[in-house]
Amino acid sequence: MRIYFRLAPLALAIAAGSVMAQSSDEAVAQMQQQLKAMQQQLNSVNNDRVRFNGFFSTGYSRASNDAGFDGITEETSVADQSLLALQGTFDVTEKSQAVMQLVGRGSEDWDPVIEWAYLSHRPTNNLQLRAGKMRLPFFMYSDSLEVGYSQTWARPPAAVYDPVAIQSYVGADATHTLNFDGSSLTTQVFTGFTEEEGNISEVELRNTAGLTLGWTDYVWTVRGIAATGETSINATRLAAIAEANGLQLVDGQAILADEERGNFFGIGLGFDDGTWQVISEITRVEVDGKFADTDSAYLSVARRFGAFTPYAVIGWVESQDNDEREAAFLAQAPSGAVVPAVPESILNTRRDEYSVGMRWDITPGVAIKADITHVRGFEDSAGGLNPAFVLTSDNDSTNVYTLKLDSAF
Amino acid sequence: MNKQSLIILASLLLSPLAMAEVVVIGHPAGPDSISSNQVRDIYLNRSQQLPDGQKARAFELPEGNSARSEFHDKVTGRNDAQLKAFWSQQVFTGRGQPPEEQGNAAAIKARVLSTPGSIGYLDAADVDATVKVILTP
Repeated sequence: MRIYFRLAPLALAIAAGSVMAQSSDEAVAQMQQQLKAMQQQLNSVNNDRVRFNGFFSTGYSRASNDAGFDGITEETSVADQSLLALQGTFDVTEKSQAVMQLVGRGSEDWDPVIEWAYLSHRPTNNLQLRAGKMRLPFFMYSDSLEVGYSQTWARPPAAVYDPVAIQSYVGADATHTLNFDGSSLTTQVFTGFTEEEGNISEVELRNTAGLTLGWTDYVWTVRGIAATGETSINATRLAAIAEANGLQLVDGQAILADEERGNFFGIGLGFDDGTWQVISEITRVEVDGKFADTDSAYLSVARRFGAFTPYAVIGWVESQDNDEREAAFLAQAPSGAVVPAVPESILNTRRDEYSVGMRWDITPGVAIKADITHVRGFEDSAGGLNPAFVLTSDNDSTNVYTLKLDSAF
Repeated sequence: MNKQSLIILASLLLSPLAMAEVVVIGHPAGPDSISSNQVRDIYLNRSQQLPDGQKARAFELPEGNSARSEFHDKVTGRNDAQLKAFWSQQVFTGRGQPPEEQGNAAAIKARVLSTPGSIGYLDAADVDATVKVILTP
């Protein structure tokens, strides 16, 4: 079985390598073909103990300006919206499994990254214990965040899903399922740590602990989460903005949180009777220090008409502690003098999002999505978008158009 | 229009009604009957248990098979695209793997016969003395 562990990253590397040489469309089709063939080959070797699955997304997004909603600007490329993942599930024993998921993203030159790597053990039918690298279960769709095919939308509602920049942690969790007649209650506790480097900041979470509770009768779903951790945030982009203006932030000024208490709360509600799908999540992020505490929510309504599923989403995010950011970040001018460089209010966030879109299931395993998202209501804030653009331009809104292909195999 | 084409036309019109009945079968040492809801729960990853407490193992026919459409229409209420989306979420969140697919009714019969705790489904026309029918949904 060891050979599969070695094969998987190799395969992704090979598939990714050929991309560079060809146009994206061709490469993408070919890669999918290759993976399918490989998956079949691998699965035919030993159907019982090893399984390979993959998912793949590509698409094109274009924004009406450079406000940078979801990182999309006027110059966003196909590669930025593309990703390919391969997941291997290995049955160690009847009750234990090893799961590994490799994701290569076009925006990261297709370098394969291990998103999941954990061992799972089921001592009883109702209890699952896992240890390793896993997704932080902050949201209803955290676990399948990048599996576009499993979602109705072109992208998860950014108002709720974007304020938390980190996605994974290394640790352990225990999930207990209590089955009633026609419904079930799932309780999950988790603990661990995270260190992730994003475009905007470096985030570290230590001694994280959390609890999620979910109840479903398979039509209605109710979910709640509470989590806490010691949070450190270094706003690398803030330092970059200052530097672009010829200023050097005074040491430590970009540290928005230094082992501060960070809390996360969320409640989610879902309804899906096979025809209508209604989903809403409300979340709160609290971190002591300058980092913006945000409240956010969305409401999504979709209706299936055979292979077509039109949807509409409204979302909102707003920082709740603007009065804690009335000073300025200090910088060293070329002359050596320490001057107030960037107002702290640059971190204030407020925006509304309105999306309409359509999912079209072309064939089982492949869906195409078209989406238009209108974003406005920044008021005096940077809207959680690119402050250099939002705060200086006359635009008080941005439109993002997306055409996306999602597949799972 | 001659008589023959009338018959063909009539049989085309009737075909949805004449759709073959599907039956759920189980391993000979398994329970003698199971409810439609219990079968649904096993096929939708809500339960891994047979009514007698054994660990359940389900087998599935491939996409496009008429007995498969009939079974899911009656038992899970989901079409192939919905099933695919559902299982992609289960698989990529580490919650489970879809029922193993067998190429045809004969393969399902053979696998169910040789796998303790297993259930499968097939067209009632394919039932013979070797299988144990535990539900007609």
